[in-house]
Amino acid sequence: MSDKASILFVDDEERVLRSLDMLFKSRFKVYTTIDGNEAVDIVRRDRIHVVVSDQRMPKITGVEVLRRVREASPNTMRLLLTGYSDLEAIVNSVNEGEIFRYLSKPWSAKEIMATVSQAADIALALEQGSGGEADTVAGGVLVIDEDPTVAEMVKAICGPERAVKWSVDLDEAFETLAANDIAVVVCDIRLRGRDISAAVKALKESNPTVMTIVQTQLQDVETLRSLINHGQIYRFLPKPARRGLLELSLDAASKRHVSMKAAPQLANRYQVEKNDVAPVAALSSKLLGYPDRMRQSKPL
Amino acid sequence: MSEHAQLRQLVIPAPGIPPHLLVSQVAEMFMDESHGKLLSLPVIDGDRPVGVVSRARMQQVLFRQYGRELFGRKPVAEIMNAAPVVIESDTALNEASKAVTERLKFPVTEDFIITEGGRYVGMGAVMHLLNAMEAQLAKQTKDLAAAYKELKASQLQLIQSEKMASLGQMVAGVAHEINTPLGYVKNNIEMMEMFFETSRELLGACNALADTLLSETATEQQLQEQLAVLTALRIGQSGEHEDVVKLFGDTRFGVDQISELVKNLKDFSRLDRAAADDVDLNECLDSAVLLARNVLKARVEVLRQYGALPRISCMPSQLNQVFLNLITNAAQAIEGTGRILIKTEAEPECLKVTVQDTGKGIPEDVLPRIFDPFFTTKPVGQGTGLGLSITYQIIQQHGGDIRVTSQPGKGSRFTIRLPLAGKTLPPAGGPQGETP
Repeated sequence: MSDKASILFVDDEERVLRSLDMLFKSRFKVYTTIDGNEAVDIVRRDRIHVVVSDQRMPKITGVEVLRRVREASPNTMRLLLTGYSDLEAIVNSVNEGEIFRYLSKPWSAKEIMATVSQAADIALALEQGSGGEADTVAGGVLVIDEDPTVAEMVKAICGPERAVKWSVDLDEAFETLAANDIAVVVCDIRLRGRDISAAVKALKESNPTVMTIVQTQLQDVETLRSLINHGQIYRFLPKPARRGLLELSLDAASKRHVSMKAAPQLANRYQVEKNDVAPVAALSSKLLGYPDRMRQSKPL
Repeated sequence: MSEHAQLRQLVIPAPGIPPHLLVSQVAEMFMDESHGKLLSLPVIDGDRPVGVVSRARMQQVLFRQYGRELFGRKPVAEIMNAAPVVIESDTALNEASKAVTERLKFPVTEDFIITEGGRYVGMGAVMHLLNAMEAQLAKQTKDLAAAYKELKASQLQLIQSEKMASLGQMVAGVAHEINTPLGYVKNNIEMMEMFFETSRELLGACNALADTLLSETATEQQLQEQLAVLTALRIGQSGEHEDVVKLFGDTRFGVDQISELVKNLKDFSRLDRAAADDVDLNECLDSAVLLARNVLKARVEVLRQYGALPRISCMPSQLNQVFLNLITNAAQAIEGTGRILIKTEAEPECLKVTVQDTGKGIPEDVLPRIFDPFFTTKPVGQGTGLGLSITYQIIQQHGGDIRVTSQPGKGSRFTIRLPLAGKTLPPAGGPQGETP
C-alpha cells in the first residue's frame, strides 16, 4: 500500500480535473471523476483521505456528494470547490456535508496545495488512532445570545441534569468557557449590535473540541465562508430558533464532542485556517490573553 | 377638505315658516329682498321641517282668479309641498346630489332643506350643489391624474428592477460559467510558471556544461559536477513536457471559452450598437441559449430548428431579454430532465419564433393570467411576476404578438410573431389552450 494520501477530485469539467491532477499527482495518489455518483462509489471502494467536489453539477450537487461521502466514510475530509456562491448550498455544506473548507474558483495553486495537504495530514492521523467508543458524559452548553428565548429553549432541551450557562457578554462568556467543562457553544454572530464572528473563530482555534452552533438571522455568503474556513462551525441555523432543529444539532454536536474527547486526534479535523489577529484584538483586551489561559487550564 | 364641510358651506340661512302662517303673510315674505336668492321657503314645525313652499307654488295659487281671496287666509300648510327634499348636513356631496336629482322635478322650482340630526338648519340651492360637485370633480380628476402619473413612474421603476433582477441572475450565472475555465486556466498558468522555473535551471545547466566543454581550462572534475547537476534536473523533468503541451491546449480552450462568454454578454446587451438594428433573430436566440446555459446545464437538451430568416429591424437588447426570459422559464418548468425546442420560421408577413418545452405545463386557471403584471406562481422572493408581462409589452411595442398554449404535465409552447417591415400581422390561427 502506498504511503501517499489519496485525493479524489469531483468536477463536471474534465479540464479542471486534468489541471488538478497534474498539480497534485507528484505528492498524492489522485483520483478524478466527472460523475458525483461514481465519486461515492470510489469512496466506498477505495481508501480516500480527501474529497474535493464542485457544487453545481448535472444530476447531483456537490453538497449531496459530500453528504453521502460523509455517511460512507466519516473520516474522509470533505472540501467544496465552487465558482458560484449560493447561500443555500453553503449552508447545507456545513449542516449536511460537515465540510472542512470552502474553496472558491478560481483558486491559487499554492493555497489549494496547502489546504488539501493539511486535510490529507489530518485524515492520515485520523486513520492511525482508533476511534474508541466513548463513555464520558458530554459537558455543558454555553449560550452566547442576547435573546433570552434561545437560552430558555436550550435549557428545555437539555433538561435539569445538564449544565447550561447563558452569557450576553463576551468576556464573561470566555471566562465561563475557561472555568467549566463546555461541550457545545450556541451563539449568534451579532451581540449587542457588534459582529462577534472573530471571537467565534478565536474560540474554535483555541479549543477545537468545543463544537459551535451558530444561530443567526444574518445570511451572507462571505461571512459564512469565513466561519467555515476560520471558525469550523459545526452547524449554521436560521433564526428565529426552531426547537426541533436545535435539538438535533445539539445532540449531534454533543456526540461529536464526546467522541473527540475519547480520541483526541479527531480534534485535528476541526483545525481552522490561521486567523488574522487584528480583528480579534479589536474585540477585547481580555480576549487576547484567552487562548493562553485556555491552553493552561485545559491541556489537550 | 372633507365633503361634509362642503355641504355645510352650502347652507343658506332662511327663517322657518310656522305651518299655521297665512298664505298672504308668506307671500309678503317672498317679497322681502333678503330672500331673493331662494326659490322656496321652509315650513318648520318647532325645529322639524314639514314642507316647503315655493315661489312657483305661490304664483300658481295667487295668480288664479280670486286666488288671494280664496287662499290668502288659509294656513300655508294647505298649499305647501309636504314631501320636501331633506338632506342631513353630513351627507356626502355625491349622495346629496343623487337625492336631489332623483326627487326634484324639472324645471327646478324648489330648494332642498338641510338638517342636522333632523333639526332644520337652513336651505340649500341646487345650483350651489352643482357648483360644489363640479369643484370636487375637478379636484378628483387632478388627484387621479397625479396618482396615475405616480403609478406609471413606479411601474417603470418596477420594470427596471425586474430587468436588474433578471440581469443580476444572469450575471451570477455567467460569473459561474467564467469561473470554471478561469479556475483551471489560472492553475495551469501557475503550473507552467513552475515548469518554466525548472526549465530555466535546466537550460542554465546545459549552457554551463557547453561553456565548460568549449573552455580550454576546464578540468575533468568540473565537467563531472556539471553533468551530475544536469542529469538530476533532467530526471526531475522527465515526462513533464508532454503534460505541459496538454496544459497549453486546455488553457487555450479555457481562454476561448471565456472569450465566447464575454462576446455573448456583449452581443446580448448590445451596448456598443444602435438601439434599433437589423438583426438576425437566430443569432439572438443562440446568444440567449448560451447565457441560459447556467439554468440548462446538462439537465435540459435544447433542440434548434432554425429557418432561413431575413434580418428585421428591431431593438435587439429587448428581444434578447424576451428570448432569455422564455428559455429560462421553459428550463424552470422542467423538473428533472427534458427538452426545449426552439423553432424559427419566415412567413410572408412575419417571422415566427416558437419556444416549446416538455415541462410541467401551466394549469388552465393560471393560463389566462400569465401575462398580467405581478402574477407569479413562484415563491416570494424568486420572481417579481413581471417577466412575462414585460415580454408581452416588448413584443407589442414591436408590433408583434405572443400566444401561449399549454397542457399540464406535457409542456407549454410560446409563439411570438414579429411583422416584417411595412407588413401587418395576419390574424392568428389556432385557439388558446390547444395541445402543444
